[in-house]
Amino acid sequence: MPIVQFAPFASLVQPSLWHKLTELKIDILKLSDAAVPITGSYSIGRSVKDRETGQEIALPCNLTIGSESFEEAHKPPRGSVFPVGTLKNYNTIEDFKAADKTTLFNYEAELIWDHILKTRDTAQLNRFLLITFADLKKYKYYYWFAFPAFVSKPAWEIGDEGWANAASEFNPEKLSSIHGQLQTQPTHLPYFLVKKEASGDVIIAPVEDYEKFYASVPPEAQTIAFVDPSADPSNPGWPLRNLLAYLRALYPATTSTVRILRWRDSEPPSPSATWKSQIGTLSVAAAASLSSERPSAVGWEKNPQGKLGPRLADLAPMMDPTSLAAQAV
Amino acid sequence: MQAIQSHLFAVREYLSPVLKESKFKEHGRITPEEFVAAGDFLVYKFPVWSWEKGDASKARDFLPADKQYLVTHGVPCLRRATSLAYTDADEDAERLLSFADSSTPSADGDEWVETHAGRKASNANAKPGADHSDIAEIPDADDDVAAGVGSLSLGGKESKEPEVIDLDDIPDMEEDDLEDGDEATAAPKPKAPAPAAVAEPNPAEAAKGNLLQVRTYDVMITYDKYYQTPRVWLIGYDENGTPLTPTQIFQDISADHAHKTVTIEPFIHSASLQAASVHPCKHASVMKKVIERMNNSVVAEQLAQRKSPVTSPKDKDATKKKWFGTRKSSGSSKDIQAAAAEGDDEPEGMRVDFYLVVFLKFIASIVPTIEVDSTTSF
Repeated sequence: MPIVQFAPFASLVQPSLWHKLTELKIDILKLSDAAVPITGSYSIGRSVKDRETGQEIALPCNLTIGSESFEEAHKPPRGSVFPVGTLKNYNTIEDFKAADKTTLFNYEAELIWDHILKTRDTAQLNRFLLITFADLKKYKYYYWFAFPAFVSKPAWEIGDEGWANAASEFNPEKLSSIHGQLQTQPTHLPYFLVKKEASGDVIIAPVEDYEKFYASVPPEAQTIAFVDPSADPSNPGWPLRNLLAYLRALYPATTSTVRILRWRDSEPPSPSATWKSQIGTLSVAAAASLSSERPSAVGWEKNPQGKLGPRLADLAPMMDPTSLAAQAV
Repeated sequence: MQAIQSHLFAVREYLSPVLKESKFKEHGRITPEEFVAAGDFLVYKFPVWSWEKGDASKARDFLPADKQYLVTHGVPCLRRATSLAYTDADEDAERLLSFADSSTPSADGDEWVETHAGRKASNANAKPGADHSDIAEIPDADDDVAAGVGSLSLGGKESKEPEVIDLDDIPDMEEDDLEDGDEATAAPKPKAPAPAAVAEPNPAEAAKGNLLQVRTYDVMITYDKYYQTPRVWLIGYDENGTPLTPTQIFQDISADHAHKTVTIEPFIHSASLQAASVHPCKHASVMKKVIERMNNSVVAEQLAQRKSPVTSPKDKDATKKKWFGTRKSSGSSKDIQAAAAEGDDEPEGMRVDFYLVVFLKFIASIVPTIEVDSTTSF
């Protein structure tokens, strides 16, 4: 059976974040390079229909941060998931280069693992790390994201039928019922459980309620769903990796084969379209690590050159008064 | 020079009075209340749009504190506007778009001409000046497009552009030993297709050879007090999530408008942010023409409905569902109040709630390849 491959997050930094960081750096942080908590956001992966060729083009699997990422009381727009993370800004390019990235990364991965074992809080599964160096005089910002994800050994495999449309399992009424229930949740759930009632209705619950919710449901009838930032039909999004690690760590007896629903419908489809969500059955060899030891994690973002290295946002054309003046003529 | 000009405009806007009377049908301008009403309607109908409060120090007191401007993120832009250069050969591709409700026979004059209908992408149509070298190849659909596009190397090819990032600037800290190869990470497959990839029929096979470089835009709509119209702002990102330079943004603006009505200016709801903006000086007159056309057809439709003596409940429902229904608006203006006072004798015509939806269609003509107009399905 083919190995499941996950689409990594692609970072999208709004220029407003760099403006905010500049302000913070000058007025508050000054020379401190202590870690600052930030929040990002991702939402259901979007695809756009190319009007000229009629093809569906999947948009990148973005995790976005902006000026509001520093606000603790930021109210998320509807339908987005808000992973928390850590920003570490260095004072000099030398410090940035010399940063002990392995330690920083492992610290973040350790936090996720602790949350899995202790708090069982799925909101912490998508923690991320961002290291930056801001060259304020040249309006250049060096940054490097890491999205830690636990590696399963052996890897998860998907049944030969691959990812099928969710309509094969849930009829449109059930899917709209799931959509409706998601909308009425007090917080937007990044992950949720789906259960078919004897009456034919479906109900959903947060993953934290796994034991209670599935108390009388055999493993084959369980469906575990996640909000999928990937619009690619064959690669599920990055958040699924840590969910699978979570399930294996906490409920090893019932999760060697799981049915996963990739939730990809932010809105009910128009009458002429179909539901985009997909369903697939994933399995892992039962011998996969059952110890409570933390599995190794991966997830440094590659730069546009495809290498493991930092990225650069050059905002001089949009921030430097000299270039702006030249532009205006 | 530009700074002085921007300040001058800021002062001029500060001094100009807030428009109080609704005149949107007469001259295409709207009041702040109507802007909020139309914005509420847009947010309600199209949840990709949302209200923002912006920087508190830049808040404008004639708008509600939590409804300072509208924003939508990640608007896709598949092609450059320069590839849409219009030639005579394209005229037969024009298509009439009807704005009337499909359930009623469309009245005269409520159609718009859509150009480039059914046009096939063709590189030969691109302007001679268009830079082909910066167009990335479309990855196969069974590839991970997200990862693939994000990893294509463009740096070397773009080095002709003056504002492009110099690779030497990026500190030399590639650390391939940071993590081992991970079999479960979807690889950037355009380069090296993983053997384990799910072999599915490739839906984009037909699109091979067709070049796409997907950019995304954040689009903001603010209210301009001086011109009394909405104003559009754009912040763009390339397929790697890197902010676009002004030169790159101008590639997505139709040649008639780039550098003339579209300029880079300080975003009015932020202390330091710069964004490309469509200058609103002609908005009112264009909107007036569009609204006149639409209003005539709506009035005709409303009259026709009134004349038909038997109205089944089903028809009533249909009327209510329409955008121009007779529901009272929160941004009620003298026009609307007058119409309401006269009861059923006078048809109300187009309602101001619909203003921003029309406005987006107008903006879509300035930025033809940015899909700001999510309302076409409507």
